[in-house]
Amino acid sequence: MIEMHDVWKVYPNGIEALRGVNITIDTGEFVYVVGPSGAGKSSFIKLMYREEKPTSGVVLINGVNVKRVRDWKIPHLRRKIGVVFQDYKLLPHMSAYDNVAFALEAVEVPTKQIQPRVEEALELVGLSDRMKALPSQLSGGEQQRVSIARAIVNNPGFIIADEPTGNLDPENSWDIMYLLEEINMRGTTVVMATHNKEIVNTMRQRVIAIEQGIVVRDEIGGEYGYED
Amino acid sequence: MKIDTLRRHFREAYRGIVKNSWMSFAAVGAVAVTLMIFGVFVIFAVNLGSITDEVGDNVSMNVVLKEEVTKEQATALTTKIKGLPNVNEARFISKDEGVDEVKKNLKDADFTRVLQKGENNFLPNLIKVTPKNVSVSKQVEDAVKGLEGVEGVKNSSTAKELLDSVLLFKNIILVFGVALAVLAAFLISNTIKLTIIARRREIEVQRLVGASNWFIRWPFFIEGGFIGFVGSVLPIGVLLLVYQGFVKMISGGSKNANLLQMVGFGDMAMYLTGSILGIGIFIGVFGSVLSIRRFLKI
Ligand SMILES: Nc1ncnc2c1ncn2[C@@H]1O[C@H](COP(=O)(O)OP(=O)(O)O)[C@@H](O)[C@H]1O
Ligand SMILES: [Mg+2]
Repeated sequence: MIEMHDVWKVYPNGIEALRGVNITIDTGEFVYVVGPSGAGKSSFIKLMYREEKPTSGVVLINGVNVKRVRDWKIPHLRRKIGVVFQDYKLLPHMSAYDNVAFALEAVEVPTKQIQPRVEEALELVGLSDRMKALPSQLSGGEQQRVSIARAIVNNPGFIIADEPTGNLDPENSWDIMYLLEEINMRGTTVVMATHNKEIVNTMRQRVIAIEQGIVVRDEIGGEYGYED
Repeated sequence: MKIDTLRRHFREAYRGIVKNSWMSFAAVGAVAVTLMIFGVFVIFAVNLGSITDEVGDNVSMNVVLKEEVTKEQATALTTKIKGLPNVNEARFISKDEGVDEVKKNLKDADFTRVLQKGENNFLPNLIKVTPKNVSVSKQVEDAVKGLEGVEGVKNSSTAKELLDSVLLFKNIILVFGVALAVLAAFLISNTIKLTIIARRREIEVQRLVGASNWFIRWPFFIEGGFIGFVGSVLPIGVLLLVYQGFVKMISGGSKNANLLQMVGFGDMAMYLTGSILGIGIFIGVFGSVLSIRRFLKI
């Protein structure tokens, strides 16, 4: 469960990216975060994986106040959360397989367990036959699927995605959506910031709209609500 | 730490070194030069240590008494000197005892025949004074000079001068060595910095998926330590070879062994290997710490 109570995020340059956000996201939910550019969506997401701390207010992940977590314990918090970005953040010199294995190695999973888990994750995202390929040999959609495999390989309770389809054509975007939906069906909470009107309007999930740092709309089965 | 993880850290450290091979090479070179100089210092310091011990023994001074001082006055004076601060020992040596002593020291060489006891003895009466340690010998000398019946003081200043120059030499090498060590640490920190920059994306992903801070740092420590280690091997080898040569040369030569008593090869090998290896690895890890603190934002 993710909770935010009266959360403000003010950057050192004085910009108020979030202004008094109150939100609760239950375990197993699928949530779209929408809003114009610069509204504060990415800031909202960064607070969830403790990339940024709230300036004031409280952010709770499974009841843990992220602001109070000691620096050395932050890694353990992050293991509960898989993060996916618009630009994939794959390591260019490593194959799809190695990119996913890298995440397991980083959290010191025993070597024997790595291969089966990597293969399972890549199979789930439909890339069993492209494991040896470098990111440069994969399409954008495939690269994003590798990054999703990396995000889920540690079995986190949450997947947080910041415009994961932002660089993809509609067909690939839909593939990624179906994939995230499937991951959600398996019990993982998914929070996804997006500009993709068609997807939001078709999937009919919970929609949180942010404008100028304030939650202006929060509805189950909502619509995108903007004309981009 | 798990053995898998440890193996991985070493692999990553190795990768870092190979990737910046030129920079690593320069850093290894700097460490080697530093440690070579440091090693020369150790050799001198250890050997000078034994020389200064000897000089320290010789630092005792001969207080020459005036001709008219009687034996009773001399004994009283000796007691008085013994009571001075910083004096360890004072012993009266009469003219005649002096003759015996000189003959003994010079092993009854021919020319000692001119020394005779009695009427024709031209040696002075003296008091042999040993200060508590070398550094206070000047004070003792000044104090003794002012006493009644004292003609003058011999012997102490030369020993002290020798000792001073030895110590100065030691300090010069030390300062030079420390400056070089700083330079070497700086070079290592620079190669580590390059590795950190080259791995920026990997580090970002590691943080993202929840790698512990130590997991991220370890390879850089190992990389620095390894550079320090490799940089120590060459100087250790060279210095030991050279030292062995010296020891052979000096002990193999005439019966001068007493003049320059060198520390044995086995002991020296231990001092050198231990101190150079220790300092090399320390410089390496210290260089890593500098870079990790400045450039590895985790
Ligand atoms: N690290 C930062 N430092 C200063 N200002 C920032 C930083 N990140 C975002 N901002 C500002 O905060 C506001 C919200 O940005 P962001 O959360 O990225 O919005 P969105 O993802 O909805 O486009 C913008 O005005 C942006 O310029
Ligand atoms: Mg954004």
